[in-house]
Amino acid sequence: MTKKTTEPRSRPITRRKFLSDLAAVSTGAVAGAVDLPAWAQQKSNKTGTVRVWGEPGPYGGVAVDAMNEWAKKFAPGIAFKLETLSWDSVYVKLMTDLAARNPAHCISVESPIAYQLMADLLLEPLDDVVEKVGRNRLVDGVKWEYWGAWKGKQYVLPAHHQPHLLVVRMDVINELGLGDPDKWDWNDLRNAARTVSEKKKDMAGISLALGRNLCTDYHFAALLHSAGGRMFDPANKYQVVFDSPETVETLEYVKSLQPYMPKGAVSYSFLEVVDSIVTGRAAISFYWGRPYGRAAEENKAVFASLQSFNHARHPKTGRRSNWNDFQGWCIPKPNNQYVAEVKAALAYYQTSPQWLVRYCHSLMPNVSPTYKDVLNDPTLATHPFFQTKKETIMNYYVHSLAHSSSTGNEMLKGVNPLAGVVHGRSILAQTVQKVAVDNWKAADAAKWGARELEQVRKENLRLLGGAV
Amino acid sequence: MPFAVAALVFMVYPVAEAVRLAFYHYNPLNPDGTSFAGLDNFRALAADPLFWQSFRQAAVWTVCSIVLQTAIGVALALLLHLPLRGIAVFRGLLLFPYIVPTVVIALILQWMLNADLGVVNWSLRGAGLIDESVYWLASPGLAMLSTIALNVWKYTPFVTICVLARLQTIPLELYDAAKVDGAGMFRRFVDITLPQLADVLAVVVIFRTIWTFNKFEEIYLLTRGGPGTSTFNLAIYSFEQSVASLKLGVGAATGVVMMGLLFVGSLVYVRVFRFDEESAQ
Repeated sequence: MTKKTTEPRSRPITRRKFLSDLAAVSTGAVAGAVDLPAWAQQKSNKTGTVRVWGEPGPYGGVAVDAMNEWAKKFAPGIAFKLETLSWDSVYVKLMTDLAARNPAHCISVESPIAYQLMADLLLEPLDDVVEKVGRNRLVDGVKWEYWGAWKGKQYVLPAHHQPHLLVVRMDVINELGLGDPDKWDWNDLRNAARTVSEKKKDMAGISLALGRNLCTDYHFAALLHSAGGRMFDPANKYQVVFDSPETVETLEYVKSLQPYMPKGAVSYSFLEVVDSIVTGRAAISFYWGRPYGRAAEENKAVFASLQSFNHARHPKTGRRSNWNDFQGWCIPKPNNQYVAEVKAALAYYQTSPQWLVRYCHSLMPNVSPTYKDVLNDPTLATHPFFQTKKETIMNYYVHSLAHSSSTGNEMLKGVNPLAGVVHGRSILAQTVQKVAVDNWKAADAAKWGARELEQVRKENLRLLGGAV
Repeated sequence: MPFAVAALVFMVYPVAEAVRLAFYHYNPLNPDGTSFAGLDNFRALAADPLFWQSFRQAAVWTVCSIVLQTAIGVALALLLHLPLRGIAVFRGLLLFPYIVPTVVIALILQWMLNADLGVVNWSLRGAGLIDESVYWLASPGLAMLSTIALNVWKYTPFVTICVLARLQTIPLELYDAAKVDGAGMFRRFVDITLPQLADVLAVVVIFRTIWTFNKFEEIYLLTRGGPGTSTFNLAIYSFEQSVASLKLGVGAATGVVMMGLLFVGSLVYVRVFRFDEESAQ
């Protein structure tokens, strides 16, 4: 018989308890551990509110808390304030505010959009901050340019890296005898999705976004890169290479998965995909680490059986590309009177492993550490998810890096500032929808997409500067 | 004087600026690259299949919305014109859809029409009318129907109020005389009520057509123009060109085309209903 105990110490630490304990740690205590170099102690007499943009999630709040800790000590007249922008509105908001010459003073935004801004010379170079943060701190397998470097200058400081992986309900997969998802290729993935759809009532085999939005762009791009296809070729004057057999194959593959998706997938974006995972309406998905936090709160049975793997291999190329957002902090140049203060605050928080661990802890395992000392910090592993989801966490944090890719740096073959415009116009998602909604032939959709990409290239040659 | 200033600042200037912009290549992120475009932006519209698709869909959305609003609005006005006890309460309630912000309605409707969790499918399933979920916002045809339904629900009260006001001014003697002549309910409606309502209906239809054709927020909030581009109208198209594609010239050119279409449409409508002749008499 199991002995019952009422001692709090013997209970498993829940995520909620862990986070509330974390929040209870005074910011002063966190900062107290940091031995500040002279540059971080420069004072500022400026006053006002420093606007910070971040994507939805608690981690932006943690970073802003850290910046405010710096402000309290060295610039008491200013306060950093977070403005959260949902993914699907970020491009519109960013562009309208930039057009009005009134952007936020500090931005954390998806890497392809940051690349566009840096190539348009709308960002402050941050090489001086990089020197303070430490050039040799990056985790193995990444480079500074992944976050945003252009023509020899670093414009973006790492916030995290964030890949989407194959998220799987292992209880369902095991029950149906569908094998080890880590060994799947595209055919196995489709077979698993079909089997789940046929055998499990009220459950879709796979949930992907097919709506006209960024999430669809990211899901499709990962498959395209696995197949060996790309949008542009940075090595050849950024020529459009989208009208290819690989694109056609990928579009046909998505179409072949569609019968095993929820019927509403054609309008799905980020939120709907997370919903379908957390509520148990889908057995497989492509997603970042975000559903784990929500499932732990809302659906413990789902949480217990969720596991993430690197994506299914393409049968011919063997590639398992993900869409990894090397998301970082950048400082818009127009009308920004707080450049020095933001740089100092960023350097302050980026040199504090305590703050950076706290950043990762705030939504485990959605935001992966970017510095070796943070990844190896023993306190990182104190998060309760490490007890049950260590393999998944390490897949997001470390093992995904070998398969990193994104639309802004396709197969890591070169940063491409055109990708931000491509996302702004939802060209990939529209291409997918031509096939999924309008029932176009994949080859025709690929041609349509290629024409749109060529238009983007033609209209934005200025972004490429001397590269073409 | 204040009116003239307000009109200049808030009406004339924006329109003039939009027309000017329609003849320029202008990317707000690259203002130094602004150049005169001549008719390029209009040529771009003519060559873009999505523009024509948006135009067709805008026509469908506008015609369906207006026909339904008018038919339901007149029917409701006739009902509310009946001398029943407590009818004033219903007349008051009529304003409800009109005063609730569109964003609230659109978000509520999104949930109501949610295929998996929405009350609409739940009710239809409960009543035995459907076996499988209906994807109201994820099927092209149904998404258009849903946006039309939202527009009709929200703006039918406007039609009802205008028609009801006119109904209350029709002399009862006309109906009494018709009754004496043996006219039934249908004949009285066709021969007395409808002709008396013609003027107000013409005004209501013109205004509703202009407003509906230009509508942006209802479609954008409910479907964002999707799935695919199946609920794009010209306002959404203009927004996408201006903001997502940063082609402000093309977006402005779309606005100019819309303005021209509505101007011509209004002229034709006024001509058909012979307002000019009536005012001359």
